[in-house]
This record gives sequence, structure tokens and C-alpha cells, in this order.
Amino acid sequence: MSNPSRGRILGRISTALQQKSPPMSPQARPIFAPVGDLKERFEVECKNNLTECLFTRNAGETQAHLLAILASLDPGIVFAEDMPFLRDRLPYAPHTLQWSSEGAAPESAQATITRVKALVAATGSLLVTSSCGGRRGTIVAPVHIVLANESQLVPDIESALALAEAKGMTTKNSYVGLITGCSRTADIEKLLVIGAHGPKRLVVLVES
Amino acid sequence: MNAAAEFLRRSAEKAADLTHRQIIRRNMETYDVAAARGRTRFADWDAARERCAAIKHEAIENLDALLIQFEEKVLSRGGHVFWAENSAEAREYIAKLAGDRGVKRVVKSKSMVTEEIHLTPALEALGCEVVETDLGEYIVQLRNEPPYHIVTPAMHLSRVQIGELFREKLEGVTSDEPAELVAAARRKLRAAFFSAEMGISGANFLVADAGMVAISTNEGNGRLCTTLPRIHVVVTGIEKVIPRLRDLAYLWPVLATAGTGQPITTYSTLIGGPRTAGEIDGPEEFHVVLVDNGRSELLADVEQREVLRCIRCGACLNACPVYKQVGGHTYATTYQGPIGSVLTPHLRGHDFDHLSYASSLCGNCTSVCPVKIDLHHHLLHNRRNSVQADQRPPSERLGFRMWRWMMMSGSRFSQLAKLGKFGARVGKAIGIDPLKPWTSYHAAPELPRRSFRDLWKDGHV
Amino acid sequence: MARVLRRIGCELSFPEDQTCCGQPAFNSGYWDDARAVAQRFLRVFEKAECVVGPSGSCITMVRKFYPGLFCGVLPTYSKFYEFSEFLTSVAKVEDLGASFPHKVTVHDSCHALRELGIKEGPRKLLRNVKGLELLEMPHAEECCGFGGTFAVKFGMISSAMADTKLQNAVTTSAEFVTSIDPSCLMHLDGVFRKKQSPLKTIHLASILASEATQ
Repeated sequence: MSNPSRGRILGRISTALQQKSPPMSPQARPIFAPVGDLKERFEVECKNNLTECLFTRNAGETQAHLLAILASLDPGIVFAEDMPFLRDRLPYAPHTLQWSSEGAAPESAQATITRVKALVAATGSLLVTSSCGGRRGTIVAPVHIVLANESQLVPDIESALALAEAKGMTTKNSYVGLITGCSRTADIEKLLVIGAHGPKRLVVLVES
Repeated sequence: MNAAAEFLRRSAEKAADLTHRQIIRRNMETYDVAAARGRTRFADWDAARERCAAIKHEAIENLDALLIQFEEKVLSRGGHVFWAENSAEAREYIAKLAGDRGVKRVVKSKSMVTEEIHLTPALEALGCEVVETDLGEYIVQLRNEPPYHIVTPAMHLSRVQIGELFREKLEGVTSDEPAELVAAARRKLRAAFFSAEMGISGANFLVADAGMVAISTNEGNGRLCTTLPRIHVVVTGIEKVIPRLRDLAYLWPVLATAGTGQPITTYSTLIGGPRTAGEIDGPEEFHVVLVDNGRSELLADVEQREVLRCIRCGACLNACPVYKQVGGHTYATTYQGPIGSVLTPHLRGHDFDHLSYASSLCGNCTSVCPVKIDLHHHLLHNRRNSVQADQRPPSERLGFRMWRWMMMSGSRFSQLAKLGKFGARVGKAIGIDPLKPWTSYHAAPELPRRSFRDLWKDGHV
Repeated sequence: MARVLRRIGCELSFPEDQTCCGQPAFNSGYWDDARAVAQRFLRVFEKAECVVGPSGSCITMVRKFYPGLFCGVLPTYSKFYEFSEFLTSVAKVEDLGASFPHKVTVHDSCHALRELGIKEGPRKLLRNVKGLELLEMPHAEECCGFGGTFAVKFGMISSAMADTKLQNAVTTSAEFVTSIDPSCLMHLDGVFRKKQSPLKTIHLASILASEATQ
């Protein structure tokens, strides 16, 4: 579709900007408080934003926790990001497993299991992309289980974004995001309700 | 009735409504506590404001270059960019797209610009069903009313009112418990998300160096709108562009803190285009509609250009003592509160000058703005512009001409003061009140028998 | 105010030709009219070494808005002081030997607070007043609703704001609401009496001028 307005709008903008405003030079003052120990801070922030954060010492412990969580769900479809760890360790019953290599997460998925790209200590956030089980994998089911590693901890949002840029995440993926806690709303009388359109429960298993 | 008279009528009604006042107060007090707590997470909140102000300042001063950079990146990843001069052009583009693609149902995440351009009626006229998915927006949509507040659209409603509404319109609602109400909305809206052909979102920021659109929601509705339908349309003002991805390290936390007191919004999303070849899901088409609609004119006004910095956090609405009395619907504009009063004359003309006068100029808005817009001083600028554009009522112009004449002479001034006191006494005696606009709400002032001037002259000071 | 200033040893003069700082016209957007009156105002006080006014809004007009009206800050503006500011920052006196045995709560006037940074000064002065019990009301910093012509143009909103201020003040059990701005006080007083509240208003200067009766 032709778009003659484009030229007109840009023309008006550049004419307007022939008059510059006086520059702003903010003083370099520290804006954020220091993050401290990454693991401790991540744990505290997860508590604040209602992410369930569990630290495990090895693959066996991770698997045990994962199976316990799955056992607590009613039998149904579990969508998982295809990875050898899960291929080896997830049972096929009582849930029906669907892998990301087979296609997008279905609407009826009870839970999704994905990896993340980083753990952000300062805010208890997860850096994810569309390669973490597609765009759907991290939003579509009421329960989202994350498999992560302590080595993925980064201090703050700035370092998470720097990592995303450095690893080309923002060019290779059509979706990149930070997820901080589970879905929520305070639109009714400003009372917090957990579980709006996204997951009601977010569990992060962090292996050392 | 013109907009100014309508505003007067509505504000009088709301100012007398004590229930309404209580509801707003309670909401605002909740916000105040959360925002204060949120600010303590910063080593220096004022430095954070300054940094964000500087980022937006840089963006606005380089608006053309940044928009071009953003557009290039979006196009290179298979997205479309359409530049709309005004509301009509933006509506036409989106309506045509919906028509061409056979769109029957649209899911929307929150976008003030889509309200500004009156998009929903245009799509409905085509036979599309348009479903608001932000819970607050969904509630006011069901009630057929505009949003009450740019961040919390249903702030004026109690759970009882929402419960009644949901029992009427949705299934499976038996109580007024917020958790049950949210669950009912989730069920209904989930069906919409999964069946809609088009998802429309706004944009909090357009990231130039990454060519990505930043969208923040707490509910996750923004994620679903931009993931499930096969077409994703972003509707945004041209002023939303920022230079770098790294800038979000400041803008995201500051927006969330000023908006709701949170460290960061739950789903802080970046979308760069339609799904790529290797991706297993995501929209097939991605369109960004850049809306001007008066913004480039505001840019040309160097004195007030900084108003374009606004990140739509809502802090100024929450800080405004006038908003707290009259609420969002009274303004009858897309953007309410201090930013609405400052911005609307620029977007919609002098018919909305009255909003700039409906302020006591207390300055609380300016003190809370996270991008340091000098809001209350811009209200003064708007008032001056109104006078210069000859928009003021003749009685007011005459009034100030007389005022000036009196103030230019010390003797006229003190004589007037005496005359005024005399006139007030006479009026009282004969039952006429020349000060009716004042005395409707105030007991008549008890004026001293002798002024300071008289006392000084007689050496009694 | 004059009595207090004399008490601390200031030599006072009162230019009788003074009228107005120009704020009403300025606030309503009539900047040309405001400028004419403002120019006259500066002339009236040209010879003064130091000018003190019992009003945060007037002094704000001079120090904060005259530069914009006249394009630039001239040294003459900085010699204008609000009364409490003069006492604490220039005269450096915080105890005026006053006595006012009543419960008092402070309303922070917007101009003084947000344009001139006046908040602690009046409270320091009040804490030194004999017998005075200083109480803080919730939302002391919230606007009283005067706003000049706003109070007349949007009377309903303005009086609702004063009513909110009344509700907040009443929670402290104070007898008096004080402030450094006569316009706030005039507005609040009018609304308080219209609503038949026993709450009284009083200017800070009047409190500081009160001496113990023997």
C-alpha cells in the first residue's frame, strides 16, 4: 500500500527539529541499589513476585521436583520444550506429553515446561524468547515450569538486555521478553488477583 | 452543549458525590502506598527520573532518524509499517486490512491510541467483533462506557457492581469475589484469544536499534494478543520511539514504579516481526501503524515539545487533587488528568482549553512525573496560548482590562478596596450578592474595618 | 508580620503605592497585562534592599515567574522573600518569643511548597511557640483548592477540595489550621464557616505575633 503520509510526517518532523531544545545532561548518579549476592537476591525477589523458586543440587533432584509437580496436576496434556534431559526423564503417564518439535503448545495444555535464557536477580525475572517452546510455551498454560541453571543468573535488567543483544537473541527471535512472576491483575478495587490470562503458577527449578 | 459547559456540569455532579470521592480516595491511597514502596527500591529515584527524562528527550530531539531506523529494521524482518497522518488514515488502513483478510474477530490489548483514533467503532461497522482483553477495559466495554483512568480503567467500580455486570453477561459467576470474577473473565476471553484472526496492541516503546515493539502487561493479555491471532497490528503514537534496547533497563522499572508501584510489569514483551521460518508459533503478519494526529505539530512547539516525553504511566492522574474530586469520565477526553489537560488542546484544538483552566496549578503532577515534564507550567502556557488565540470570553477579557487599569495606580487600588468593602455591605443590606460565584461555596469574608495601609498611615503598626 | 519583623530588629518601610504582583492575570493567561503590572511592581520596590511578603504565591510569582515574563533572572528578584523563609534563612531566627496555647495544624501552600521549597521552616517556627501543640494532618501537602480564578470558575471542585482538607484537618483535633498564604486561608475559612465547622484559620504571622498575656 502506498503511504504518501510518510513523507509528509517526516517532513514536518524534520522541519520542527530544525529548532533544537537545549540539551539535557543528567548527572551520573547511581540509580539502582547494588544487587548483592545473585542467588540470594533472586530467591528474595521470587518470593516477592510469587514465583516458586527451588534450588536443586543435581539432575536427579531436579527430576524429582519436576515429577512431584506434575503428579500434583490432574492428568492432561503437558507441553515441553524438546530437550534430552526431558526426553530421558519424563514419564509418559498419566500425562500426555507434547514436544515443541511437534508444533505449538495446545490451548488445553495443563502445564508447559521450558528453559529460559537468563535469570535476572534484581527483579526475580526470567529472560525468554520464542525459542523457549515458541511464544506460546511461556504463557498459554495455567502452570509454567522452568528448568534453569545457577550459571544463568545475571545481576539486573541491563545485563539481561546486554546478553540478549550479545547473543543475537533480538535478531534471531521474533519475541524476546522478561517474565516476572505469574499473571495477575488489580483491576477490581485494586485488589491483587493471581492468574489472569497467563499462568497462575510459575515454578523455577534452578540447578547448581 | 459545548465541551466546557459539559465539563462544568459533570464536575459539579461528581464533586458532590461523596461515594465516588471515597472510592477514588481509597484507590489512590492504595496506589500511594505501593508507589512509595516501589520508589524505595531505587538508590536515587530522582536520578532515575532524570535518566528517563534524558532518554525521552534524546528520542524526541532525534525523532525522524529514530523512526526511520526503527522502520528499516521492522521491514527487514518481514513486518509492515504504515504512517498515518490522522485518525481517519489509521482507521482506514486497519479496517482495510481486516476486510481484506476476512477478519471476523479482533482481540485488543490496552492501547490509548486506539481510543484516540476511535478504532473500535470502525471495525464494528465492518462486522468485526472487537474484544477488549485488559480486564479493566473489558469491564468498561461491557458497560459501554469509556475508560476511567489510563492505567486502571475500571477504578470507579466496586466488586459488587462488577459482580452484577458479570452475572448478567458471563457464565459461572455466583459471587462478588474478585478471584471468581477474574476466573470468569479468563474463561470468556480465552475463547476469544484462540479464535480471533487479528490481535491489536499498543506499544509502550518502539526500540529503534532493535526494531522491536515493547508491550507491557501484568495479565498476560498482551502476550496472547500478540501470539495467537495470525495478524498482529501495533497502533502507536510516533513519539513512542526510544534509541536503544538498553534504555529499557531504566524505562521499564520507572514505568512500572510510577504506574503501579511494581519493580517491573509482569510481562515485558518485545516483538520484532511476524514468526520467523524456524519458529513453531506466532502471527504470520506484523503491522505497525505510526500515528501522528497532531504530534508533529506539538513537536514544532519548542516550549512544549517535552510533553511528548509522556510514557502514559498515570502518576499525574493519581497525584492530581482535581482528578481525585471529579474522576476520569468528567474530562470526556481520551487522555485525562494533568497530561490530558496539557495535551488535548494540541491534539483537538481550543475547544478543550477549559481543561487547562480546571486546575488550581498546585504542581503535584510535575513533582511526580517520571520523565520530568513541567506539567503545571504547561497548563499556564496553554492558558496564555488561549488568550493569544483570542479564545477567551469577552467578559473575561474585559475583566482583566479593568483589573489592569486598577492595578496600575496605588490610589485607584486602595480606593477600589474601600469601594469593594462598601459595595459588599450595601449588597448585604439590600439582599444582592455581587460575589455570588464566591459566596455560593464560601461564607462571606469578614473584612477588617481598617486595612493595613490605613493602619500604617496612622502609625498604628 | 510587621510586628514580628520589628520585634527582631528589622527597619521597615511600606511603599504605599504598591498594588499587585500581577499573578491573577498571569495565571489566567493574560501575560501582557501581567507584565505591565509586574513592571510597576518592580519599580515600586526598586529602592528596597530586601522585600518580605506574607504570601508564598506572590513571592513565587516574582522569583519563579517574573524571569519567564521578562526573559531572564535579574538579581532584583532574589531580594524578595516569603515571611517564614525570611525569618529562618535570612534573619536566622526561629524563636520569636511568641505564645499561642492552642492545637494547630499546618496546611502546606502549593506555591510555597513546590516552587519555593518551604516545608520545614514554618514548622520550626511553630515548634518554638509557647503552649502551641503542633499536629500533622494527613495529606497536609494536598492543594486546598483555591487556585485563584479556579475557585470561582470551578467552585464545586474547589469547595470539594476544601472539604477534603477540612475532613483531613478534623482528624487531628486541631483548633486552628495555619498556613503562610492568605489566599489558602481565605478560601478555607470561607468553606469552613459555610459548612459551620468550628475549625478556625490563622496566618502564621498572626501566631508568631501573639504574645503571652500577663
